[in-house]
Amino acid sequence: MNPIDSRIHQALDGEIARDALPPALRRTVERLEAAAGLLAAAAPVPGLEARVMAVIRQPAPSRTWRVVRWLATPHTVMVRIRPAWSLALAAVLVLLALFPLGDRGPMLGEHEGIAQFVGRFPGARSVHVVGSFNDWRTGTIALEDRDHDGVWRGVVVLPAGTYEYMFVVDGELWVPDHLAERQVADNFGRENSIVIVRAVRR
Amino acid sequence: MRFVLLVLALLATPLAAQSVRDRLEGRVPAEAIPAVDSLVQVAAQENLPTEPLVQKALEGGAKQVVALRVVAAVQVSLTQLRDARDLLVRAGDLPPVTPGEVTTVAWALRRGLPAVVVGRIVGALPRPPRAAAVHAVADLVAHRFDPDSGADLIIDAIHQGLHEARLLDVSTAAIQELQRGRSHAEALALVRQELPNVPAAPKPTRAAVVRARRPPGQQPP
Repeated sequence: MNPIDSRIHQALDGEIARDALPPALRRTVERLEAAAGLLAAAAPVPGLEARVMAVIRQPAPSRTWRVVRWLATPHTVMVRIRPAWSLALAAVLVLLALFPLGDRGPMLGEHEGIAQFVGRFPGARSVHVVGSFNDWRTGTIALEDRDHDGVWRGVVVLPAGTYEYMFVVDGELWVPDHLAERQVADNFGRENSIVIVRAVRR
Repeated sequence: MRFVLLVLALLATPLAAQSVRDRLEGRVPAEAIPAVDSLVQVAAQENLPTEPLVQKALEGGAKQVVALRVVAAVQVSLTQLRDARDLLVRAGDLPPVTPGEVTTVAWALRRGLPAVVVGRIVGALPRPPRAAAVHAVADLVAHRFDPDSGADLIIDAIHQGLHEARLLDVSTAAIQELQRGRSHAEALALVRQELPNVPAAPKPTRAAVVRARRPPGQQPP
């Protein structure tokens, strides 16, 4: 905006005589007075006052609403970054995707492996795996059915070797693992399942 | 020196016996504990592994089997260990046979492997460990492969340099051929052609490793 010469204000307010003004300022004052005359002569716009007053009387939007409106309104964001940094950022994201920092499971020893137990027991309230790897103690290794589809799973770290086991359903029903590849008589008139755990670091 | 060893041996036997009783206490019917303890002592005196007997008693207790049947099952297990030890000695192992091998052979016999076949495997693998080999043959027999033919395949694999867990890959490959519709003879022939390049068992997925938990009380190595 161009600043208006203060002498124009003074001339329009009658504080100084127009004749005292330089010719250029005097012409500006005359144009402004002509424009004011035109505005005064113009017919009033119907309803303008009411509309203006309606806007003025509206309560100011709350802070929350202004924040929401700011968040919902598109803004131009400019980020200036060196290509080397953007490549480094991409590499970090890839590494985080491959090796997340969260729970990475237990560190396995040289002679340890993983035994995966899966059994289908619809309607069961609890399923445990019991065997020679835990001295046949019931209730220590629980399987889980996270999605409630009746398939119970458990993953256990064990020293590499051969173990006999059974599932215990609802704390009382002993069931062999029908999915196991190996079964053996338990000398009590039933069959145990056999799992062979291989060392993971082989 | 000999005196010290004698004293240690005299002390060790009652201590071992006490530890067995401690493990059984409260987990096996009380009236079964003296008999089981005696059988464990007999096994120890015969240089047989004792842990399978303790495990059998604990298993019986967990399954709430009556005392008489717990003792009977432990007695059967002791007999199976003796048979396994005798088989190993007949096959050429010099006594004392390692407890691990006795346990392995006992397992093989319990899984239905004929003693002659186990003897052939032991002969083909003069040195332990043989667990994977006998389990590989037992896996084949469990899928109705002829025991001698199954043993032939595993012995071929041993001669081609495969050992331990890789032998289980051999039996798995044959079983998979069977599941693809091959006859038993075809499956054995196909896998024999592939030797020693049978597919290796997949390693556990990363998701499985992340979910894995140690049983309570098991310390990391």
